[in-house]
Amino acid sequence: MKRKFPDNDTDASTPRKLRTRLEDNPVFDPEFEEEQDVVPEMQTPSRRKRGRPSPELDTPRKSALKARPIPGQETPKSSRRVLFSTPSKSREDDTDGTPTIVRNADRSARRKSARRLIERAINGETSEDDALEEDEALAQQILSDEEEEADGADPKVPKTLYHEEAPIPETPTKRKRGRPKGSGKKQLEKQPSLVPPERLPPHELYFWQNRIGGTKTSNNILSAEVLLNHDEYFETMQSYQDMHDPEKGFLLELHSRAFDQWLFELSQGFNICLYGYGSKRSITEAFTSHLYAHLLSQPAYAGTKKPPKIIVINGYTPNTTLKHILTTLATALLPKGTRLPNQPPSLLKLILDTLTSTPPPHPIPLILNSLDSVPLRKSPTPTLLAQLASHPSINLLCTVDTPLFPLLWDISLRTQYRFLHHDTTTFSPYVAELDAVETVNELLGRSGRRIGGRDGVGFVLRSLPENARSLFRILVTEQLALMLDDMEDPSFDGEPATPRNKSTDAAAQGIEYRVLYHKAVEEFVCSSEVGFRTLLKEFHDHQMVESRKDSGGAERLWVPFRQEELEGLAEDLVGEAF
Amino acid sequence: MEHERCYIYTPPQSEERAAKRRRTDSSNHQAQLSARLDIYRELWAQQEERIHATLEEADRSTLENIVNFISSPSRNHDQGLTCILTGLIIAGPSIASHGPFFDRLGRKIRNETNSAYILLTSGECPNLKSLLKNLIKKVTSRTEDDDDDDIAQGVSSRRGPKVLDFDLQHVQEWQTRNHVEKIVVAVQDSEAFDAGLLAEVIDLFHSWLDRLPFVLLFGIATSAESFEDRLSGRALRYLEGEKFNVTQTDKVIETLFGATVASTDVPLRIGPNLSRRMLDRQKDYVQNVQDLSDGLKYAYMSHFYANCTSIFLKKDITFKELPKEVLEAVRNLPSFRKWVELLLDSRKTQEVRKLLDSDEHLFETVKANVISGQEVLAAVTAAVIVLVRLREALQMTSQVPLSSIWIRAASGELAESPLLRETMLSIKKVSSDKLGQVLASFKAAESIYLPVDISAFQNALEDLLKQKTDSTPLRTQDDVRTNSLRTTVVAQKVELSKHKAALSEQDKLYSELIARLHDDLENYFNGTFIDPKELFLSEILIYDLRSPLTEVFQPKPRFAIERALGSPHDYLGCDCCSAAGDKGAEAALSATQPATAILYQLYLESGSLINVADLWAAFNAITGEEGEDNDHKTMALFQRALAELRYLGFVKPSRKKTDHVTKMLWKGL
Repeated sequence: MKRKFPDNDTDASTPRKLRTRLEDNPVFDPEFEEEQDVVPEMQTPSRRKRGRPSPELDTPRKSALKARPIPGQETPKSSRRVLFSTPSKSREDDTDGTPTIVRNADRSARRKSARRLIERAINGETSEDDALEEDEALAQQILSDEEEEADGADPKVPKTLYHEEAPIPETPTKRKRGRPKGSGKKQLEKQPSLVPPERLPPHELYFWQNRIGGTKTSNNILSAEVLLNHDEYFETMQSYQDMHDPEKGFLLELHSRAFDQWLFELSQGFNICLYGYGSKRSITEAFTSHLYAHLLSQPAYAGTKKPPKIIVINGYTPNTTLKHILTTLATALLPKGTRLPNQPPSLLKLILDTLTSTPPPHPIPLILNSLDSVPLRKSPTPTLLAQLASHPSINLLCTVDTPLFPLLWDISLRTQYRFLHHDTTTFSPYVAELDAVETVNELLGRSGRRIGGRDGVGFVLRSLPENARSLFRILVTEQLALMLDDMEDPSFDGEPATPRNKSTDAAAQGIEYRVLYHKAVEEFVCSSEVGFRTLLKEFHDHQMVESRKDSGGAERLWVPFRQEELEGLAEDLVGEAF
Repeated sequence: MEHERCYIYTPPQSEERAAKRRRTDSSNHQAQLSARLDIYRELWAQQEERIHATLEEADRSTLENIVNFISSPSRNHDQGLTCILTGLIIAGPSIASHGPFFDRLGRKIRNETNSAYILLTSGECPNLKSLLKNLIKKVTSRTEDDDDDDIAQGVSSRRGPKVLDFDLQHVQEWQTRNHVEKIVVAVQDSEAFDAGLLAEVIDLFHSWLDRLPFVLLFGIATSAESFEDRLSGRALRYLEGEKFNVTQTDKVIETLFGATVASTDVPLRIGPNLSRRMLDRQKDYVQNVQDLSDGLKYAYMSHFYANCTSIFLKKDITFKELPKEVLEAVRNLPSFRKWVELLLDSRKTQEVRKLLDSDEHLFETVKANVISGQEVLAAVTAAVIVLVRLREALQMTSQVPLSSIWIRAASGELAESPLLRETMLSIKKVSSDKLGQVLASFKAAESIYLPVDISAFQNALEDLLKQKTDSTPLRTQDDVRTNSLRTTVVAQKVELSKHKAALSEQDKLYSELIARLHDDLENYFNGTFIDPKELFLSEILIYDLRSPLTEVFQPKPRFAIERALGSPHDYLGCDCCSAAGDKGAEAALSATQPATAILYQLYLESGSLINVADLWAAFNAITGEEGEDNDHKTMALFQRALAELRYLGFVKPSRKKTDHVTKMLWKGL
């Protein structure tokens, strides 16, 4: 947290400190010369008019960004440097046409200052200009605070200020500017503190990792080829042999020794909840067969052909609902041909009444995998399930996967469930519970890969009418335009948690439904909203479009692809490749 | 079957054989276990009886009051002033106990009065329409299908205009057929209902009151005042309320503990550590009667399931039905060893040899000692009860509940404790009017054997009182009121001196009486308050193991998962990953660990925003091997591990940067 203060300090009083340091600390002079180049740039209106026509301004900036080599991206210093000194550089471009890339390559302050000195020596006029500017800057900085406020009103200044606030603690320049005296030493001292301190207590670690400026990450991205698709994944996984298989087998064996104990616990009216890391399906499977054998040996089944009924529910399957569970239970319980109520509460009531009036010879066992899965979390389901589980003629054995599952139930639900918890860590992979490839794609916002990427989209589009293709083209180009806007926006340097990034978010959120509709009407793709919806529905069905509500409540549509893929798509669409 | 939603289990073909094999090899063990479980069932049935009785007793008077209130003749009709009879049931803050209470109430009302009882909860009544639908469904106990509700209902009724299924007309029709005296509508969690909804309901019920005899019951967790504040004046005018206080859960729990643990005739006792834990949990977190009884039940279950020596708790156990292993197990009990050492110290080597050699002798000894041990424990409990009554009768200022005194006694801390000393001191000071109460309270506890002759003391006291002429009670010599401080000024210095008022002859006699009582009681307490843990065979008589009970009722799932991923060796116990333990965090990241564990540990090191590309690079650096196939393998593992982290809720997508994820859980928090 300490780190924050110097930063803010600098932001608030940048020009003044510059000056003081200029006087106090001549060592850094060259560096300041350059920075002073910037300051007058921003403060003298005359210069701006002359030297910075907006298109010119944008081009070098963009090129600087794009040309920035990968290693450069990792050091935050680079991006900031470029941004901050852009105006002066653009002017240099005007004057002596130094290529941007070269300038980006040698970024060190010393080299720059040296080059500047050479430049001055060669080009007398500019150096004179510079000197003049410096004087002007000095004069302005000496002026009152009102002046500074006026600076703040300057449209360009907030942006720069804002950038200094961006959490880049490592940037050396900033530190220097913030500390007029002994800043070099300070910097040296600070550097090691960036390495995480050893053995922090958990809460300290939380604050340390969430500190302002702590979320500095590189801009590396995973190339699309690295991630496996379903086929590759399953192919690889089939041949994969886990070296821990014997140990996992041992864990399973260990847990299965408790089966008799669990039977006893169930028989005493408790329900059982299994938790711990790893898929517990193998355990429930083994237990189910154990239970089946146990029930078969009971007097109720001796001599009869009627098998005991154990109901197994896989809560992790995405479309499991309470109704399925209750219907399965009802078919096991009620005579065939009974008309079942449609609503789950009435169905539950019927089941509970039946269980109370004609109790079965033994409690009906319910084996539920993943009780805490998303489909079973929705509002009425836990309440009704708890009611069901609290009936003495129902034995529930369920598994839970998430570490925070107890928070799902309040005290009255927990009282109804009457759970005994057992740690059954298995380390087995969640094979059935989880589609690893899809989950990762979703996690990284690449769910577009689901339909087979660009080719898949092409395939779908080819089978759709012309109008649909046009609509998709509009959608893709609009989204691309939004993304490009973001790229051009100087603030797009990937700093997280900054207000600037709202525009980035907006791009990620896609095009507003209304906007897209009007564009479509303008281009005669469709004439009514009904037609528009019909076209969109096709995209939705093929998962080519995703929609969500933004913070304002407006519906936004977006194509779940990354920029490169979108560009390719747009090319195909415009080029009538489909 | 793994992708099917729900199905009824059918065993694979090869199942049968395995099941049979298992049954034969554990038959011997099984037989003994079932014998133990039989004892468990018998003992627990007794305990359950006690619990049941306690709970019934706890709110019997409240329930009766409510039933009387409901069946009281309606005062409203003849006066022309119509109000809905309303019972405000202050059920206290422990919400979990409300449900059982209202169930009991409903049973009682249905049994004892000619009334319909309908229980409504906030969950099923989000608005007036569904509330009425629910109400009607419950009153008329219709089980018809409610899918195409409004229309079907209306069309099918041929008589007169169609009636919507949330029209109270249905109730009226039902009422003409059934003629109940009252329709009791109980609102279990009134706080959770929208105040506007309650007002609407009251308004509606009031307008129907001339046709339907409604009585409202509101369950209130806060206070009647706050309930009143929530309703509008108009709604309040329609209500004629009466307040009923339900016995608060903490009191119920205290009595329950007294009945099930700190009671004299309990064969198996829950030890002090466990009791303290369970009561603390009640105090700090849950306040839930069922939770306590579940805890007790599980303790009983564990004792008989896991401890093979617990078979000695069977009353008429014979030597023949006892397997040899049990006696062998007894010989290995720590308390047996301690006892043998004691015997050796007192040079009873013959006895020791016999115990070790002869199973039969050991059996008889253990059997006798179990019974005597139970008696000792009962005596301790009795002494605790005596002490509590004594303190009550003496009206001691600091009220210590029975449970806490019992726990102290059971952990052997009560002898010589300040609590006991304080009580004994105040006995010395007791005046004759209070002494009467004290003796009477001893007398009242008939079930408790007290080695002090209370009647003799009572007679002596009566004799003394008869001789007295004035009404002032007799005092002892230790009573502060017989002392007075005197200040004297000597040579400009103030001197304080204690002065004892002269005791009358009767007071002296009384002091002697008290001194005798004091000595008797002191001897009694010192004799009975032993440390039960030191008792021979305490392992059979007392269950005080924390381990299964805590984990089973208060699991730490997050810790378990973090541990499994953070140090998988703890669970796997494999050779390859074990070196990690002693060398600290750096060495822990060996490539042999499960992929998810490696990824999780990398995850722990990163900040709140994680670049997946860098994560992959780090992961690849640790586990990756050369070659195209291995690349695929590593990536597949990485994808699976990342997906698992997502599934477990450790990460979520981030839209702040491309290919970044947000950290969700910090280890150890």
